[in-house]
Amino acid sequence: MNDFEFDLLVESLLDGDQNNSVLETRRLLDAGAGRKQIITLGIESAMQQLDARCTAEQFNLLEIMLCGRAVMEVMKELYPPGAPAPETKATIVLASLQGDVHDLGKNIFKMVLTATGYRVVDCGKDCPLEKLIDAIQRENALAVGISGLITTIIPQARRVRDKLIERGLGRVKTLAGGAALKQATAESIQVDFVGQTAFDGARYLDQLTGSKR
Amino acid sequence: MNSLERIMAAVNFQAADRTPVIAQVFGHAATLADVSLGDYVRDGDLLARCQTQALQRYEYDAVFALMDVNVETEAIGSSLTYRTDQYPVVKTHILAEGAGLNKLSVPDPNRDGRMPELLKAARNLRKEVGDDVLVVGCVLGPMTLTIQLMGAETALFLAIDEPEQFARLLDFAAEVVIRFGVAQLEAGAHLPMVFDPSSSPSVIPAPFYREFVQARLKRVFEAFKQAGALANWLHTAGPAVPILPYYPQIGVDIANIDFCVDPPEAMRTLPTTCLNGNIRPLAFVLSEPEEIADESSRLLRAFAGRGGFILSSGCEIPPESRPENIAAMVQAVGRER
Repeated sequence: MNDFEFDLLVESLLDGDQNNSVLETRRLLDAGAGRKQIITLGIESAMQQLDARCTAEQFNLLEIMLCGRAVMEVMKELYPPGAPAPETKATIVLASLQGDVHDLGKNIFKMVLTATGYRVVDCGKDCPLEKLIDAIQRENALAVGISGLITTIIPQARRVRDKLIERGLGRVKTLAGGAALKQATAESIQVDFVGQTAFDGARYLDQLTGSKR
Repeated sequence: MNSLERIMAAVNFQAADRTPVIAQVFGHAATLADVSLGDYVRDGDLLARCQTQALQRYEYDAVFALMDVNVETEAIGSSLTYRTDQYPVVKTHILAEGAGLNKLSVPDPNRDGRMPELLKAARNLRKEVGDDVLVVGCVLGPMTLTIQLMGAETALFLAIDEPEQFARLLDFAAEVVIRFGVAQLEAGAHLPMVFDPSSSPSVIPAPFYREFVQARLKRVFEAFKQAGALANWLHTAGPAVPILPYYPQIGVDIANIDFCVDPPEAMRTLPTTCLNGNIRPLAFVLSEPEEIADESSRLLRAFAGRGGFILSSGCEIPPESRPENIAAMVQAVGRER
Protein backbone atom coordinates (compact mmCIF):
# COMPACT_ATOMS: atom_id res chain seq x y z
CA MET A 1 0.00 0.00 0.00
CA ASN A 2 2.79 2.37 0.85
CA ASP A 3 4.48 3.07 -2.47
CA PHE A 4 5.43 6.60 -1.50
CA GLU A 5 8.21 8.10 0.54
CA PHE A 6 6.78 10.02 3.52
CA ASP A 7 9.99 10.52 5.50
CA LEU A 8 10.75 13.95 4.06
CA LEU A 9 7.25 15.19 4.89
CA VAL A 10 7.51 13.83 8.42
CA GLU A 11 10.93 15.42 8.85
CA SER A 12 9.73 18.79 7.53
CA LEU A 13 6.73 18.73 9.87
CA LEU A 14 8.90 17.88 12.86
CA ASP A 15 11.27 20.71 11.91
CA GLY A 16 8.29 23.06 11.85
CA ASP A 17 9.21 23.97 8.28
CA GLN A 18 5.87 24.91 6.77
CA ASN A 19 7.20 25.70 3.29
CA ASN A 20 8.95 22.39 2.86
CA SER A 21 5.99 20.56 4.36
CA VAL A 22 3.69 22.04 1.72
CA LEU A 23 6.19 21.31 -1.07
CA GLU A 24 6.49 17.69 0.07
CA THR A 25 2.73 17.38 0.23
CA ARG A 26 2.41 18.66 -3.34
CA ARG A 27 5.12 16.23 -4.45
CA LEU A 28 3.26 13.33 -2.85
CA LEU A 29 -0.07 14.37 -4.34
CA ASP A 30 1.53 14.75 -7.77
CA ALA A 31 3.02 11.29 -7.43
CA GLY A 32 -0.44 9.90 -6.78
CA ALA A 33 -0.53 9.55 -3.00
CA GLY A 34 -4.00 9.80 -1.47
CA ARG A 35 -4.99 12.48 1.01
CA LYS A 36 -5.78 9.89 3.67
CA GLN A 37 -2.38 8.29 3.16
CA ILE A 38 -0.68 11.65 3.59
CA ILE A 39 -2.59 12.21 6.81
CA THR A 40 -1.97 8.75 8.22
CA LEU A 41 1.62 8.19 7.13
CA GLY A 42 2.74 11.81 7.12
CA ILE A 43 0.92 13.95 9.64
CA GLU A 44 -0.05 11.28 12.16
CA SER A 45 3.40 9.76 12.00
CA ALA A 46 4.95 13.16 12.76
CA MET A 47 2.52 13.66 15.64
CA GLN A 48 3.43 10.27 17.09
CA GLN A 49 7.12 11.16 17.00
CA LEU A 50 6.42 14.54 18.57
CA ASP A 51 4.37 12.84 21.25
CA ALA A 52 7.28 10.50 22.01
CA ARG A 53 9.64 13.48 22.34
CA CYS A 54 7.31 15.31 24.68
CA THR A 55 8.33 13.84 27.98
CA ALA A 56 7.77 15.95 31.06
CA GLU A 57 11.40 17.14 30.80
CA GLN A 58 11.45 17.92 27.10
CA PHE A 59 7.99 19.26 26.39
CA ASN A 60 7.97 22.79 25.02
CA LEU A 61 5.15 24.68 23.41
CA LEU A 62 7.26 26.38 20.75
CA GLU A 63 8.27 23.12 19.07
CA ILE A 64 4.67 21.91 19.01
CA MET A 65 3.43 25.29 17.73
CA LEU A 66 5.85 25.20 14.83
CA CYS A 67 4.91 21.65 13.93
CA GLY A 68 1.26 22.55 14.33
CA ARG A 69 1.54 25.52 12.01
CA ALA A 70 3.13 23.30 9.37
CA VAL A 71 0.41 20.66 9.86
CA MET A 72 -2.29 23.27 9.36
CA GLU A 73 -0.67 24.43 6.11
CA VAL A 74 -0.56 20.85 4.87
CA MET A 75 -4.21 20.36 5.80
CA LYS A 76 -5.10 23.50 3.81
CA GLU A 77 -3.21 22.04 0.85
CA LEU A 78 -5.06 18.76 1.16
CA TYR A 79 -8.48 20.25 1.82
CA PRO A 80 -8.63 23.74 0.30
CA PRO A 81 -11.71 25.88 1.02
CA GLY A 82 -14.71 24.32 -0.69
CA ALA A 83 -13.30 20.79 -0.73
CA PRO A 84 -15.20 18.14 1.26
CA ALA A 85 -13.94 18.03 4.85
CA PRO A 86 -11.92 15.02 5.98
CA GLU A 87 -13.59 12.26 7.97
CA THR A 88 -13.13 12.78 11.69
CA LYS A 89 -13.15 10.53 14.75
CA ALA A 90 -15.43 12.74 16.86
CA THR A 91 -16.21 16.36 17.73
CA ILE A 92 -14.46 17.96 20.69
CA VAL A 93 -15.35 21.39 22.09
CA LEU A 94 -12.52 23.44 23.63
CA ALA A 95 -12.39 26.65 25.67
CA SER A 96 -10.43 28.74 28.13
CA LEU A 97 -13.06 29.62 30.74
CA GLN A 98 -14.26 33.09 31.65
CA GLY A 99 -11.56 35.13 33.35
CA ASP A 100 -8.73 33.32 31.60
CA VAL A 101 -7.44 34.96 28.45
CA HIS A 102 -4.54 32.58 27.99
CA ASP A 103 -5.20 30.38 25.02
CA LEU A 104 -1.82 29.09 23.95
CA GLY A 105 -2.32 25.74 25.69
CA LYS A 106 -5.82 25.42 24.29
CA ASN A 107 -4.60 26.23 20.79
CA ILE A 108 -1.87 23.60 21.07
CA PHE A 109 -4.47 21.01 22.10
CA LYS A 110 -6.66 22.09 19.20
CA MET A 111 -3.80 21.59 16.80
CA VAL A 112 -2.90 18.16 18.21
CA LEU A 113 -6.52 17.03 18.03
CA THR A 114 -7.02 18.35 14.51
CA ALA A 115 -3.84 16.67 13.35
CA THR A 116 -4.89 13.38 14.88
CA GLY A 117 -8.29 13.30 13.23
CA TYR A 118 -10.75 15.12 15.47
CA ARG A 119 -13.14 17.88 14.54
CA VAL A 120 -12.57 20.72 16.98
CA VAL A 121 -15.03 23.46 17.86
CA ASP A 122 -13.10 26.25 19.56
CA CYS A 123 -15.11 28.47 21.90
CA GLY A 124 -12.09 30.70 22.39
CA LYS A 125 -10.82 32.32 25.55
CA ASP A 126 -12.65 34.09 28.36
CA CYS A 127 -15.60 31.81 27.54
CA PRO A 128 -18.72 31.89 29.76
CA LEU A 129 -19.89 28.49 30.96
CA GLU A 130 -23.31 28.81 29.32
CA LYS A 131 -21.76 29.49 25.92
CA LEU A 132 -19.57 26.42 26.34
CA ILE A 133 -22.49 24.15 27.25
CA ASP A 134 -24.54 25.53 24.34
CA ALA A 135 -21.73 24.65 21.94
CA ILE A 136 -21.40 21.13 23.34
CA GLN A 137 -25.12 20.56 22.86
CA ARG A 138 -25.27 22.13 19.41
CA GLU A 139 -22.25 20.24 18.10
CA ASN A 140 -23.18 16.89 19.66
CA ALA A 141 -19.69 16.69 21.09
CA LEU A 142 -18.08 13.57 22.47
CA ALA A 143 -16.03 15.56 24.95
CA VAL A 144 -15.12 19.02 26.17
CA GLY A 145 -11.62 20.23 26.93
CA ILE A 146 -11.10 23.11 29.33
CA SER A 147 -7.79 24.84 29.66
CA GLY A 148 -6.74 26.92 32.66
CA LEU A 149 -3.54 28.80 33.33
CA ILE A 150 -4.87 30.52 36.44
CA THR A 151 -6.30 28.92 39.53
CA THR A 152 -9.20 31.34 39.85
CA ILE A 153 -11.12 29.48 37.14
CA ILE A 154 -11.21 26.26 39.18
CA PRO A 155 -14.68 26.96 40.63
CA GLN A 156 -16.00 27.24 37.05
CA ALA A 157 -14.18 24.07 35.99
CA ARG A 158 -15.88 22.25 38.86
CA ARG A 159 -19.30 23.32 37.59
CA VAL A 160 -18.91 21.98 34.05
CA ARG A 161 -20.01 18.43 34.80
CA ASP A 162 -23.08 19.50 36.81
CA LYS A 163 -24.08 21.90 34.05
CA LEU A 164 -23.80 19.10 31.51
CA ILE A 165 -25.95 16.82 33.63
CA GLU A 166 -28.54 19.60 34.06
CA ARG A 167 -28.83 19.79 30.27
CA GLY A 168 -29.05 16.02 29.85
CA LEU A 169 -25.49 15.87 28.53
CA GLY A 170 -24.03 13.69 31.26
CA ARG A 171 -22.51 11.36 28.66
CA VAL A 172 -20.07 14.08 27.51
CA LYS A 173 -16.57 13.48 28.85
CA THR A 174 -14.70 16.38 30.47
CA LEU A 175 -10.96 16.93 30.08
CA ALA A 176 -8.81 19.57 31.80
CA GLY A 177 -5.29 20.83 31.25
CA GLY A 178 -3.09 23.90 31.47
CA ALA A 179 -0.64 25.14 34.08
CA ALA A 180 -3.20 25.57 36.89
CA LEU A 181 -5.61 22.74 36.21
CA LYS A 182 -2.94 20.11 35.69
CA GLN A 183 -1.86 20.55 39.30
CA ALA A 184 -5.21 19.12 40.37
CA THR A 185 -6.57 15.59 40.38
CA ALA A 186 -9.54 14.83 38.13
CA GLU A 187 -11.62 14.08 41.20
CA SER A 188 -10.82 17.39 42.93
CA ILE A 189 -12.02 19.47 39.99
CA GLN A 190 -14.80 17.07 39.01
CA VAL A 191 -13.67 16.18 35.52
CA ASP A 192 -13.04 12.82 33.87
CA PHE A 193 -9.42 13.38 32.93
CA VAL A 194 -6.56 15.77 33.68
CA GLY A 195 -3.78 15.81 31.08
CA GLN A 196 -0.21 16.90 31.75
CA THR A 197 0.32 17.51 28.03
CA ALA A 198 -1.87 17.89 24.94
CA PHE A 199 -0.82 14.42 23.86
CA ASP A 200 -2.14 12.91 27.11
CA GLY A 201 -5.53 14.37 26.24
CA ALA A 202 -5.39 13.00 22.68
CA ARG A 203 -4.52 9.53 23.99
CA TYR A 204 -7.44 9.63 26.40
CA LEU A 205 -9.80 10.56 23.56
CA ASP A 206 -8.35 7.82 21.37
CA GLN A 207 -9.19 5.34 24.10
CA LEU A 208 -12.75 6.62 24.12
CA THR A 209 -13.07 6.41 20.36
CA GLY A 210 -11.21 3.12 20.10
CA SER A 211 -8.65 4.66 17.77
CA LYS A 212 -5.16 3.25 17.44
CA ARG A 213 -2.16 5.57 17.68
CA MET B 1 17.93 37.92 63.78
CA ASN B 2 15.26 39.74 61.78
CA SER B 3 13.64 38.57 58.56
CA LEU B 4 15.92 40.52 56.26
CA GLU B 5 19.05 39.25 58.02
CA ARG B 6 17.67 35.71 57.88
CA ILE B 7 17.06 35.92 54.15
CA MET B 8 20.48 37.38 53.44
CA ALA B 9 22.02 34.61 55.53
CA ALA B 10 20.27 32.09 53.29
CA VAL B 11 21.45 33.92 50.16
CA ASN B 12 25.03 33.79 51.46
CA PHE B 13 24.80 30.23 52.83
CA GLN B 14 25.45 31.46 56.36
CA ALA B 15 24.02 30.15 59.63
CA ALA B 16 20.67 31.56 60.77
CA ASP B 17 18.25 31.14 63.67
CA ARG B 18 15.87 29.29 61.32
CA THR B 19 15.13 28.78 57.64
CA PRO B 20 13.42 31.85 56.16
CA VAL B 21 9.91 31.41 54.82
CA ILE B 22 8.37 33.53 52.06
CA ALA B 23 4.78 32.92 51.09
CA GLN B 24 4.18 34.36 47.61
CA VAL B 25 1.06 36.11 48.84
CA PHE B 26 -0.02 38.63 46.21
CA GLY B 27 -3.77 38.84 45.53
CA HIS B 28 -4.43 36.64 48.55
CA ALA B 29 -3.61 39.68 50.70
CA ALA B 30 -6.68 41.37 49.16
CA THR B 31 -8.86 38.30 49.73
CA LEU B 32 -7.74 38.20 53.35
CA ALA B 33 -8.63 41.87 53.86
CA ASP B 34 -11.97 41.41 52.07
CA VAL B 35 -10.88 43.87 49.42
CA SER B 36 -11.65 43.45 45.74
CA LEU B 37 -8.72 42.26 43.65
CA GLY B 38 -9.63 44.88 41.04
CA ASP B 39 -9.09 47.64 43.63
CA TYR B 40 -6.01 46.02 45.12
CA VAL B 41 -4.08 46.07 41.84
CA ARG B 42 -4.88 49.73 41.17
CA ASP B 43 -4.21 51.36 44.52
CA GLY B 44 -0.71 51.39 45.97
CA ASP B 45 -1.84 52.54 49.41
CA LEU B 46 -4.43 49.78 49.60
CA LEU B 47 -2.01 47.17 48.35
CA ALA B 48 0.56 48.12 50.96
CA ARG B 49 -2.06 48.06 53.73
CA CYS B 50 -3.26 44.60 52.70
CA GLN B 51 0.30 43.31 52.49
CA THR B 52 1.07 44.66 55.95
CA GLN B 53 -2.03 43.03 57.39
CA ALA B 54 -1.12 39.71 55.78
CA LEU B 55 2.40 40.00 57.20
CA GLN B 56 0.98 40.63 60.67
CA ARG B 57 -1.29 37.63 60.35
CA TYR B 58 1.19 35.10 58.99
CA GLU B 59 4.55 36.47 60.24
CA TYR B 60 6.58 35.34 57.26
CA ASP B 61 9.77 37.03 56.08
CA ALA B 62 8.86 39.17 53.04
CA VAL B 63 6.18 41.45 51.62
CA PHE B 64 5.47 42.12 47.97
CA ALA B 65 4.86 45.34 46.05
CA LEU B 66 3.42 43.34 43.18
CA MET B 67 0.21 43.83 41.23
CA ASP B 68 -0.06 41.47 38.27
CA VAL B 69 1.73 40.62 35.04
CA ASN B 70 0.17 43.44 33.04
CA VAL B 71 1.60 46.55 34.70
CA GLU B 72 4.39 47.07 32.15
CA THR B 73 2.37 46.29 29.02
CA GLU B 74 -0.41 48.63 30.16
CA ALA B 75 2.08 51.45 30.80
CA ILE B 76 3.43 50.94 27.27
CA GLY B 77 -0.03 51.12 25.71
CA SER B 78 -1.90 47.79 25.87
CA SER B 79 -5.46 48.07 27.14
CA LEU B 80 -6.73 45.91 30.00
CA THR B 81 -10.04 44.67 31.30
CA TYR B 82 -10.43 44.98 35.07
CA ARG B 83 -12.67 42.69 37.07
CA THR B 84 -13.72 42.72 40.69
CA ASP B 85 -12.53 39.32 41.80
CA GLN B 86 -9.82 38.49 39.28
CA TYR B 87 -6.53 39.89 38.06
CA PRO B 88 -6.87 42.21 35.06
CA VAL B 89 -6.39 40.71 31.62
CA VAL B 90 -5.11 42.19 28.37
CA LYS B 91 -7.94 43.33 26.10
CA THR B 92 -5.68 44.54 23.30
CA HIS B 93 -1.96 43.99 23.01
CA ILE B 94 -0.23 47.18 21.89
CA LEU B 95 1.75 45.35 19.22
CA ALA B 96 -1.24 43.36 18.02
CA GLU B 97 -2.74 46.60 16.76
CA GLY B 98 -0.08 47.13 14.15
CA ALA B 99 2.06 49.55 16.16
CA GLY B 100 5.69 49.03 15.31
CA LEU B 101 8.53 49.00 17.77
CA ASN B 102 9.55 52.48 16.64
CA LYS B 103 6.20 53.81 17.88
CA LEU B 104 6.82 52.55 21.41
CA SER B 105 8.66 54.40 24.12
CA VAL B 106 10.01 53.27 27.46
CA PRO B 107 7.40 54.24 30.05
CA ASP B 108 8.17 56.62 32.88
CA PRO B 109 7.60 54.68 36.13
CA ASN B 110 6.62 57.91 37.88
CA ARG B 111 3.94 58.73 35.35
CA ASP B 112 2.66 55.91 33.19
CA GLY B 113 -0.14 53.42 33.86
CA ARG B 114 -0.17 51.87 37.31
CA MET B 115 3.60 52.06 37.71
CA PRO B 116 3.38 55.09 40.08
CA GLU B 117 0.92 53.15 42.27
CA LEU B 118 3.29 50.20 42.45
CA LEU B 119 6.12 52.55 43.44
CA LYS B 120 3.83 54.00 46.10
CA ALA B 121 3.22 50.49 47.44
CA ALA B 122 6.97 49.82 47.61
CA ARG B 123 7.55 53.15 49.35
CA ASN B 124 4.79 52.53 51.92
CA LEU B 125 5.90 48.99 52.62
CA ARG B 126 9.51 50.01 53.18
CA LYS B 127 8.35 52.78 55.49
CA GLU B 128 6.28 50.24 57.40
CA VAL B 129 8.84 47.45 57.79
CA GLY B 130 12.15 49.29 57.36
CA ASP B 131 15.00 46.83 57.20
CA ASP B 132 13.29 44.24 59.34
CA VAL B 133 11.40 42.47 56.56
CA LEU B 134 12.34 42.02 52.89
CA VAL B 135 10.38 44.33 50.59
CA VAL B 136 10.12 42.69 47.18
CA GLY B 137 9.17 44.58 44.03
CA CYS B 138 8.46 42.87 40.74
CA VAL B 139 9.26 43.25 37.08
CA LEU B 140 8.64 40.87 34.21
CA GLY B 141 11.53 39.24 32.42
CA PRO B 142 12.15 40.67 28.92
CA MET B 143 10.81 37.50 27.29
CA THR B 144 7.58 37.55 29.29
CA LEU B 145 7.11 41.27 28.70
CA THR B 146 7.57 40.81 24.94
CA ILE B 147 4.83 38.20 25.00
CA GLN B 148 2.62 40.56 26.99
CA LEU B 149 3.13 43.21 24.32
CA MET B 150 1.94 41.13 21.37
CA GLY B 151 0.43 37.84 22.54
CA ALA B 152 2.20 34.52 22.93
CA GLU B 153 1.66 32.97 19.53
CA THR B 154 2.51 36.12 17.59
CA ALA B 155 5.67 36.62 19.65
CA LEU B 156 6.88 33.04 19.37
CA PHE B 157 6.29 32.82 15.64
CA LEU B 158 8.05 36.16 15.22
CA ALA B 159 11.04 34.76 17.10
CA ILE B 160 11.34 31.98 14.52
CA ASP B 161 10.33 33.89 11.38
CA GLU B 162 12.05 37.22 12.06
CA PRO B 163 14.59 36.66 14.82
CA GLU B 164 16.30 40.03 14.40
CA GLN B 165 13.09 41.95 14.90
CA PHE B 166 12.25 39.74 17.87
CA ALA B 167 15.68 40.46 19.37
CA ARG B 168 15.08 44.20 19.01
CA LEU B 169 11.79 43.80 20.88
CA LEU B 170 13.56 41.91 23.64
CA ASP B 171 16.11 44.70 23.93
CA PHE B 172 13.32 47.25 24.23
CA ALA B 173 11.64 45.09 26.88
CA ALA B 174 14.91 44.80 28.81
CA GLU B 175 15.20 48.58 28.83
CA VAL B 176 11.64 48.87 30.22
CA VAL B 177 12.38 46.26 32.87
CA ILE B 178 15.59 47.97 33.97
CA ARG B 179 14.00 51.40 34.27
CA PHE B 180 11.00 50.07 36.21
CA GLY B 181 13.10 47.86 38.49
CA VAL B 182 15.56 50.64 39.31
CA ALA B 183 12.61 52.93 40.11
CA GLN B 184 11.30 50.28 42.52
CA LEU B 185 14.68 50.16 44.23
CA GLU B 186 14.71 53.93 44.50
CA ALA B 187 11.20 53.82 45.97
CA GLY B 188 12.28 51.45 48.71
CA ALA B 189 12.15 47.86 47.48
CA HIS B 190 15.12 45.81 48.67
CA LEU B 191 15.04 43.98 45.36
CA PRO B 192 12.78 43.61 42.34
CA MET B 193 11.99 39.95 41.73
CA VAL B 194 12.15 39.11 38.03
CA PHE B 195 9.09 37.08 37.10
CA ASP B 196 9.66 35.28 33.83
CA PRO B 197 7.20 32.42 33.33
CA SER B 198 7.30 32.68 29.53
CA SER B 199 10.97 31.68 29.57
CA SER B 200 10.04 28.35 31.08
CA PRO B 201 11.38 25.32 29.22
CA SER B 202 7.76 24.23 28.91
CA VAL B 203 7.33 27.20 26.55
CA ILE B 204 10.72 27.54 24.85
CA PRO B 205 13.57 25.03 24.50
CA ALA B 206 16.82 25.64 26.38
CA PRO B 207 18.84 26.64 23.25
CA PHE B 208 16.29 29.40 22.61
CA TYR B 209 16.79 30.57 26.20
CA ARG B 210 20.55 30.61 25.70
CA GLU B 211 20.29 32.54 22.45
CA PHE B 212 17.60 35.11 23.29
CA VAL B 213 17.03 35.33 27.04
CA GLN B 214 20.23 34.73 28.97
CA ALA B 215 22.24 37.84 27.99
CA ARG B 216 19.26 40.16 28.47
CA LEU B 217 18.53 38.85 31.94
CA LYS B 218 22.22 39.27 32.79
CA ARG B 219 22.00 42.90 31.69
CA VAL B 220 18.88 43.41 33.82
CA PHE B 221 20.42 41.88 36.93
CA GLU B 222 23.68 43.82 36.55
CA ALA B 223 21.67 47.04 36.43
CA PHE B 224 19.72 46.06 39.55
CA LYS B 225 22.88 45.27 41.49
CA GLN B 226 24.39 48.58 40.44
CA ALA B 227 21.25 50.32 41.67
CA GLY B 228 21.55 48.64 45.06
CA ALA B 229 19.49 45.44 44.90
CA LEU B 230 20.33 43.26 47.89
CA ALA B 231 20.08 40.16 45.74
CA ASN B 232 18.89 39.05 42.32
CA TRP B 233 15.82 36.84 42.46
CA LEU B 234 14.67 35.02 39.35
CA HIS B 235 11.31 33.33 39.21
CA THR B 236 10.79 31.05 36.23
CA ALA B 237 7.72 28.88 36.45
CA GLY B 238 7.51 25.25 35.36
CA PRO B 239 10.14 22.55 34.82
CA ALA B 240 13.16 24.87 34.81
CA VAL B 241 15.92 22.26 35.20
CA PRO B 242 17.25 22.57 31.59
CA ILE B 243 17.91 26.30 32.05
CA LEU B 244 19.21 26.27 35.64
CA PRO B 245 22.83 25.88 34.45
CA TYR B 246 22.60 29.38 32.92
CA TYR B 247 21.61 31.03 36.20
CA PRO B 248 25.10 31.61 37.69
CA GLN B 249 26.24 33.40 34.52
CA ILE B 250 23.08 35.52 34.55
CA GLY B 251 23.86 36.60 38.11
CA VAL B 252 20.98 34.91 39.94
CA ASP B 253 21.32 34.92 43.73
CA ILE B 254 17.91 33.39 44.54
CA ALA B 255 16.39 30.87 42.14
CA ASN B 256 12.74 30.04 42.52
CA ILE B 257 11.93 26.41 41.79
CA ASP B 258 8.40 25.43 40.91
CA PHE B 259 6.64 22.37 42.30
CA CYS B 260 7.60 20.21 39.32
CA VAL B 261 11.35 20.67 39.90
CA ASP B 262 13.09 17.98 41.90
CA PRO B 263 14.89 19.80 44.78
CA PRO B 264 17.91 17.44 44.90
CA GLU B 265 18.41 17.94 41.16
CA ALA B 266 18.20 21.73 41.57
CA MET B 267 20.70 21.54 44.44
CA ARG B 268 23.10 19.51 42.31
CA THR B 269 22.78 21.93 39.39
CA LEU B 270 23.06 25.09 41.48
CA PRO B 271 25.30 24.16 44.43
CA THR B 272 26.09 27.75 45.40
CA THR B 273 22.77 29.46 44.59
CA CYS B 274 20.05 30.01 47.17
CA LEU B 275 16.86 28.19 46.16
CA ASN B 276 13.30 28.96 47.12
CA GLY B 277 10.32 26.70 46.70
CA ASN B 278 8.59 24.51 46.01
CA ILE B 279 5.21 23.49 47.46
CA ARG B 280 2.52 22.91 44.83
CA PRO B 281 0.61 26.23 44.63
CA LEU B 282 -2.78 24.62 44.18
CA ALA B 283 -2.21 22.61 47.37
CA PHE B 284 -2.83 25.85 49.29
CA VAL B 285 -6.37 25.75 47.89
CA LEU B 286 -7.14 22.04 47.81
CA SER B 287 -5.07 20.37 50.53
CA GLU B 288 -5.33 20.12 54.30
CA PRO B 289 -2.98 21.98 56.66
CA GLU B 290 -1.44 18.67 57.77
CA GLU B 291 -0.41 17.94 54.20
CA ILE B 292 1.20 21.38 53.82
CA ALA B 293 3.00 20.88 57.13
CA ASP B 294 4.30 17.47 55.99
CA GLU B 295 5.48 18.83 52.65
CA SER B 296 7.16 21.78 54.39
CA SER B 297 8.97 19.45 56.79
CA ARG B 298 10.08 17.25 53.92
CA LEU B 299 11.61 20.25 52.15
CA LEU B 300 13.27 21.55 55.30
CA ARG B 301 14.84 18.12 55.86
CA ALA B 302 16.01 17.96 52.22
CA PHE B 303 17.86 21.27 52.56
CA ALA B 304 18.93 20.90 56.20
CA GLY B 305 22.53 19.97 55.45
CA ARG B 306 23.05 22.56 52.76
CA GLY B 307 21.46 25.89 53.77
CA GLY B 308 20.85 28.36 50.97
CA PHE B 309 17.13 27.74 51.12
CA ILE B 310 13.95 29.76 51.56
CA LEU B 311 10.80 27.76 52.16
CA SER B 312 7.97 28.88 49.90
CA SER B 313 5.43 27.89 47.33
CA GLY B 314 6.53 26.90 43.83
CA CYS B 315 4.71 29.90 42.37
CA GLU B 316 2.05 32.37 43.47
CA ILE B 317 -0.10 31.24 46.36
CA PRO B 318 -3.55 31.52 44.76
CA PRO B 319 -5.79 34.36 46.01
CA GLU B 320 -8.45 31.87 47.08
CA SER B 321 -6.06 29.78 49.22
CA ARG B 322 -7.06 28.57 52.66
CA PRO B 323 -5.34 30.78 55.28
CA GLU B 324 -4.74 27.78 57.54
CA ASN B 325 -2.61 26.24 54.79
CA ILE B 326 -0.36 29.29 54.56
CA ALA B 327 -0.10 29.33 58.34
CA ALA B 328 0.89 25.65 58.27
CA MET B 329 3.85 26.42 55.98
CA VAL B 330 5.02 29.31 58.16
CA GLN B 331 4.65 27.29 61.35
CA ALA B 332 6.82 24.53 59.89
CA VAL B 333 9.95 26.68 60.09
CA GLY B 334 9.12 27.52 63.70
CA ARG B 335 9.30 23.84 64.59
CA GLU B 336 12.90 23.67 63.35
CA ARG B 337 14.23 25.52 66.36
